[in-house]
Amino acid sequence: MKKKIGIPKCLLYYQYYPLWKVFFEELGAEVILSDNTTKKIMDDGVKLCVDEACLPIKLFYGHVLNIKDKVDYLFIPRLTSVSKNEYICPKFGGLPDMIKHTVKDLPKIIDTEINLRKSKKKAFTTALEIGQFFVSDKTKIKKAFKEAITSYGEYRKKVKQGVIPTDILDKKLSVVKKNDENMLNIAVIGHSYNLYDKYTNMNMIEKLKNNGINVITVDMVDGKIIDEKVKQLNKQMFWYFGRKAIGSAYHFMETGEIDGIIYLMAFGCGVDSFICDFIERKIRKNSEIPFIVLNIDEHTGEAGMDTRLEAFTDMIRWRYRDENNLSAHG
Amino acid sequence: MEKNSFYLGIDVGSVSTNLVITNEKDEVVEKLYLRTGGQPINALRKGMQILADKFNKNIKISGVGTTGSGRQLASVITGADVVKNEITTHAVAAQRLVTGVKTILEIGGQDSKIILLKKGVVYDFAMNTVCAAGTGSFLDRQAARLEISIEDFGTYALKSKSSVRIAGRCAVFAESDMIHKQQTGHSVEDIINGLCEALVRNYLNNLAKGKDIQEPIVFQGGVAANIGIVSAFKKALGKDIIIPKYYDVMGAYGAALIAKDKIEKQNNITKFYGFNAAKNDYKAKSMECGDCSNLCEIIEITSNDEVLARWGDRCGKWSDTKSNKESAG
Repeated sequence: MKKKIGIPKCLLYYQYYPLWKVFFEELGAEVILSDNTTKKIMDDGVKLCVDEACLPIKLFYGHVLNIKDKVDYLFIPRLTSVSKNEYICPKFGGLPDMIKHTVKDLPKIIDTEINLRKSKKKAFTTALEIGQFFVSDKTKIKKAFKEAITSYGEYRKKVKQGVIPTDILDKKLSVVKKNDENMLNIAVIGHSYNLYDKYTNMNMIEKLKNNGINVITVDMVDGKIIDEKVKQLNKQMFWYFGRKAIGSAYHFMETGEIDGIIYLMAFGCGVDSFICDFIERKIRKNSEIPFIVLNIDEHTGEAGMDTRLEAFTDMIRWRYRDENNLSAHG
Repeated sequence: MEKNSFYLGIDVGSVSTNLVITNEKDEVVEKLYLRTGGQPINALRKGMQILADKFNKNIKISGVGTTGSGRQLASVITGADVVKNEITTHAVAAQRLVTGVKTILEIGGQDSKIILLKKGVVYDFAMNTVCAAGTGSFLDRQAARLEISIEDFGTYALKSKSSVRIAGRCAVFAESDMIHKQQTGHSVEDIINGLCEALVRNYLNNLAKGKDIQEPIVFQGGVAANIGIVSAFKKALGKDIIIPKYYDVMGAYGAALIAKDKIEKQNNITKFYGFNAAKNDYKAKSMECGDCSNLCEIIEITSNDEVLARWGDRCGKWSDTKSNKESAG
């Protein structure tokens, strides 16, 4: 019988699932995902997790609870770094311990450290370590890793072409709904687990699309562009997400094709609180592009989100209408 | 009264429900400021009833606009032509009354906003984030605690002789600060003034940070009635503040203006159900849908057993069937 490995559908799932899935399947395991975030998952997570954590971390607990009894293994790697000379949020590193000491009756947890700070090559040795849980044959693991990297590459390619990650992961395409107004291009900056979890962000991307807006997210920006843009900074940004967000923000400012920028942040996120302010200052100083910050937490009242999104797009359209009027008369 | 064109603007907010009737010259012929009291349907019916008694036979409503956090609800009950967010309606209203306005400060019951305009167009805005400290309901609460009516709040503040610093970041912190200052013997006037300054400080730190506040500055929303806050704003900004004449119903006024604009431009006939629609019995029922683990909280609005609207579901199953009477309940 196939060994079942559970992956919580949150946090870095949105970034690495195509890689993880193929890797584990190539090793003969069956990958089981937790359900999409629901009210119950959120309630469970909020109840279990320390109060001071951000919402996405709380959700992780809920997803673990949702899936733990259906699997032989839970994949909760100790994520220290996913890029050279950069770190990610320290809570990701503490996640396996936080879960182990809070949640009872857990299956076996694969908590191998993923730390690519010194070299990308470390990814392969990490894969070998994780692979040992399923097979002992190193050639098999090597092959599985190669396939996984290919799958990840294809995923990244599609996202860079402008496909919303969840459209690929859920295998259904969302379409921009045409309306009477001109199409707008709105860029969205934020952690992938905030941007693509429809429950927590109250379906923000879909709402924009239904309003005749083409949504461009940070994940669609090519890594090379980001590398190039962040050279403008005085010193190196040591957060993986920070670099991605700032590089993308510069890119969005400079392409001349973006009509507005939304920063979606989770209340209580340390990284967001710095980066958001930094980006806002840059945008306001160097451009005229409309910018808005949207905060998410446990709220279920959608009116707040709807009002802000609606007002933001109204503002952009109003601005264009006015500019058009001006040019028509003089 | 002549049977001219009149427009109705409705703003259903968390604390107040406002109704405005405007004429063709965009003048307000009637304005109502009612307490929502947690029952938006009742407040709206009451408002419509008052207008019906006064105007029903005399005027014809050519267009209706709704706004505020209860704008969907108001739209369902009255048959609105436009449903607009508060930012847009407030900006439209302020521009109509104060030519060339560059900054709009608005403090309502549960939210506060700042709107910046350039060349007559909104170019930036911000709303309070997750906390309602520094809004009308915060002041309401503190006034109640000091056993002072909210209408007299400002007068007390102006009588203050020396300033007392109150924490404005959070309503709970402010309250414990106030109790402490009371117990050390500060006068009520000084404490109230300190509270006004705290609210303004919080507003400017939270919403206006990094923003260029240029004159003319308009201050609107229910809290603009509070002369203590107005004076604290003037002091903090060192600039003059204009209170527009319809300051407490600007959202509703803006909604009426936008409705007029739409009806005139598109040559439409209003969808307004008439003032008597409010005489109907409206019921809002909430239920938890158990079909999946989202457990959505569904709201259903019915009138005489007919389902007018449903919302609150994430999948669209309930809101899509709103016209289907059989599936009610």
